[in-house]
Amino acid sequence: VVAGDLRDHILEGAYACIAQHGMAKTTVEDVARQAAVSRATVYRYFPGGRDQVLRDAIAWEAARFFERLSVATASAADVAALLEAALLFAHRAVVEHEVLQHMLRTEPATLISRLTVGGDRLVRLVKAWLAPHLEAALLQPGMTVDAAGDYLARMLLSFIGAQGQWDLTDSAQVAMLVRTQFLAGIIDGAERSRPR
Amino acid sequence: MTAALACIGRWGLAKTTLDDVAREARCSRATVYRLFPGGKDTLVSAVAYAEVTRVCAAVARRFEQAGTVGDLLAGGLAEAARQIHGHTALTLLVEQEPESVVPWLAFQRGEELLAFLTAFTAPYLARWLTPVDARRAGEWAARLLVSFCLCRNPDVDLTDDGTTRVLVSTFMLPALIPD
Repeated sequence: VVAGDLRDHILEGAYACIAQHGMAKTTVEDVARQAAVSRATVYRYFPGGRDQVLRDAIAWEAARFFERLSVATASAADVAALLEAALLFAHRAVVEHEVLQHMLRTEPATLISRLTVGGDRLVRLVKAWLAPHLEAALLQPGMTVDAAGDYLARMLLSFIGAQGQWDLTDSAQVAMLVRTQFLAGIIDGAERSRPR
Repeated sequence: MTAALACIGRWGLAKTTLDDVAREARCSRATVYRLFPGGKDTLVSAVAYAEVTRVCAAVARRFEQAGTVGDLLAGGLAEAARQIHGHTALTLLVEQEPESVVPWLAFQRGEELLAFLTAFTAPYLARWLTPVDARRAGEWAARLLVSFCLCRNPDVDLTDDGTTRVLVSTFMLPALIPD
């Protein structure tokens, strides 16, 4: 087994434990049993022990979430279509994510601190995903891929965390949101490209 | 309440006891209980409410001085960021007991926070925007505040008026004031 694969395999086991018992009750022993490895192996890959393996398991599932997101939006023709598809997909995926919703009911503080304390990592992840799409777009004069990516990643994550007064199941509202709050300052003519 | 805030800023939320607060305030535990019958939880809620009110009042003063919608958003964001970054107790909690603060930043309580901040800012924005646009812009600014306070960007110092002016004029104004 390749080292990276075994690490992923342990994380998969840890995630399965969290899904079954919640974070508070999951121990290194549970993770080792689930992944069919020894406790020592878990500690070799995660020297920080329980805390590290749980934190990394949440980050691992978050990364998988964004992989599913990028598959779901792969056919988008431009940045606006990409962001619309991403908002619609991510909102539905969060609502339908059973483990996430279960943890939000039972241990919201632990879950949200794990997700947000590594928030910089999420911003970087989304920014990297957006970069090639922004490089292909016609940006406003003075706008850089870096600045646009940072801003759009923050907006996207903010809307995944809370939809506020917008209805993210309504594609017309999402389209309006994207061409105003997301792209008006970034894409040349975003505000005028489609009728209000 | 001043004593409680000082204790939380020094030791954090979990370690602060009503004895600490009574000692800091130079009164008896019984007095603390008489004023906050629910004990620590009631006291902490009252302190949190007072602090939110105080920060909102500081931001409202900045809102009232604004000459344009861009000035209001940029000035309000910078003032709010300075209040947050300069808050000793809040800074300690975010670093050492994030689970006491961050649940307010996403999902159910995140929605409540956004709704609160939107209701607070929209009346000031309505000087320049329609009621619908004012509510949207208020929520938008609240999202940027939360995001940049939670995940710092070394290139974007939200406590600096010049930086927030660039942020607002780059990303927000083109949607709020279409040319």
